[in-house]
Amino acid sequence: MSIADEIKDKLASKVINWHEHSVKRIYFSIKPGDIREVASFLFKDLGLRFATASGIDTPGGFEILYHFSFDKSGQIISVRTIIEDKQNSEIDSLAALAPCFEWIEREMWELLGINFIGHPNLTHLLLTEEWPEGKYPLRHEHK
Amino acid sequence: MNLKLKALTKSIWVFHAATSPCNNCDIEVLDLITPRYDVERFGIVLVGSVRHADALLVTGVPNYKTKERLKKLYSQAPKPCVVVAIGGCACGRIMFKESYNSPCSVDEVVPVDVYIPGCPPKPEAMIAGIAKLIKKVRGEKQCL
Repeated sequence: MSIADEIKDKLASKVINWHEHSVKRIYFSIKPGDIREVASFLFKDLGLRFATASGIDTPGGFEILYHFSFDKSGQIISVRTIIEDKQNSEIDSLAALAPCFEWIEREMWELLGINFIGHPNLTHLLLTEEWPEGKYPLRHEHK
Repeated sequence: MNLKLKALTKSIWVFHAATSPCNNCDIEVLDLITPRYDVERFGIVLVGSVRHADALLVTGVPNYKTKERLKKLYSQAPKPCVVVAIGGCACGRIMFKESYNSPCSVDEVVPVDVYIPGCPPKPEAMIAGIAKLIKKVRGEKQCL
């Protein structure tokens, strides 16, 4: 059973949209509330490696892509989630799963202003400590 | 020119300060100490602490964090200390001028003696820049 089928089988109720860009690049969307469960399954149960996460400000909300890598087959599985509420953007922190989630979540917090609930140390990473509060450099003014 | 300064120009110890570069300039700087270019024949050595250095070599655009560190580094360097700005970012700020994390250019923080532009500059260009710097320190006439 391939890794894609395994994910489809186990997370059938959570996956909103499944897209296979190629054999090695698989994208699927989930609701922001399900991220902890989905990441735990991918990271702990399937043993995928967490490569990185990327956040972007889109007109429809903050989109976060969590990229997981399956090194045996070279596949990259990206979990897409969109936080629609831009005023109070919140998502569960994955730092409790493994320390590798910590820094990228700090970076997304300081550059986009996404609040990661349950993060142990949500402080500035790339920007200076004196950075003004509530100013997020990678946020756009969408018309 | 006094004897001490003349001796210094024959054994320039360099401290490499990377103020948030993209690493491309740093890789070219590393080329300088490989056998192909071998700047050690001029007495130029990279050292681990700025307190041992005669020259401060700066790459990259300073951001709010590295700006303070660069200031500290320069204040810790024994004087006379020359500052060499390597690459387009350190010479001016090029495309990062409007960036949210780019408060100033290198020469607004420390006095720069030599600008070596390029993205990244060739090792030959760096050697040419250092040769001009040595002539300037010795007070010799530049032949351009």
